[in-house]
Amino acid sequence: MNKTFFILLLCVGLVAVTNAQSKWSTKTGNLVFEASVPSFEEVKATNNSVSAILNTETGAFASLALVKGFRFKVALMEEHFNENYMESSDFPKAVCKGKLVNFNVNDLKDTFSDFTMKGTITMHGVTKPIETIVKLKKTNNEIELQSNFILKPEDFDIKIPGIVSKKIADEVNVSANYSLSQ
Amino acid sequence: MKKKIILLIVTLVLVVGAYSGYKHLYKAHRNIETEVAVMEVDAFKLKMFFKRNKTEEVLNKTVSVYGIVTGIEGNTITLEDMIQCSFDGELPSVKIDDQVSIKGRCIGYDDLFELVKMDQSTLTKK
Repeated sequence: MNKTFFILLLCVGLVAVTNAQSKWSTKTGNLVFEASVPSFEEVKATNNSVSAILNTETGAFASLALVKGFRFKVALMEEHFNENYMESSDFPKAVCKGKLVNFNVNDLKDTFSDFTMKGTITMHGVTKPIETIVKLKKTNNEIELQSNFILKPEDFDIKIPGIVSKKIADEVNVSANYSLSQ
Repeated sequence: MKKKIILLIVTLVLVVGAYSGYKHLYKAHRNIETEVAVMEVDAFKLKMFFKRNKTEEVLNKTVSVYGIVTGIEGNTITLEDMIQCSFDGELPSVKIDDQVSIKGRCIGYDDLFELVKMDQSTLTKK
């Protein structure tokens, strides 16, 4: 009886250890988006405390950015972004969940190679599918992840009033830069 | 004479209007460092605001939180594995296991790591 319990415990312990080894993560990922229109004020914000986890065993990926963590140069722009567009008190998170297609951790090199990620993005209470290229490289104790993609505010039910719509691009460029470690 | 006065008033109104409009458009960011914290709590208590769905009491507010440093990563200090505080400039010199008090703006709860996140933090007590 005691022996089986011990073996069971050992198994649980082993599973926990292997799980820990395949999980690469960051809590200080960098996410930038830009929706500037030429000759108007720059519409750009940065978030430096984005969380992300990559499971190198399954290729599963998850990332979470707190909307209030996006900082703009212009204070009023930041206020409008939070209060009028993203309504960040009601929808405080932007979440991306997905899977890297045909991912094998042994394919990672010390220079960037491309992988396809398929998944969903949830923000402002709306979930949309996403498919994007993710660049990955692996050094000794870090996996670096880079990705650029385009999001449309209208897809997420974000309404931009007529007067300012000329100053904000219809397509928002998003770029993610994560240094994942174990 | 009357015309001159009217012209003067109109110009004055325009100048003041333009100035206050400019002031409004380019108003300064909040200065969390000089704001008075709405509460001073320990790490666990702050986390409980999110666990008990009382987020509006702390979200976007300046709060002061105290606890033991359990992690230092990049420009962030983590307290009690529950609160992650990011600093704008250089990190203050603290070590793991230090008992500190940090003031910052509470920006939300991260489900992935079960962490409350704060930004624009300053170390208030060591």
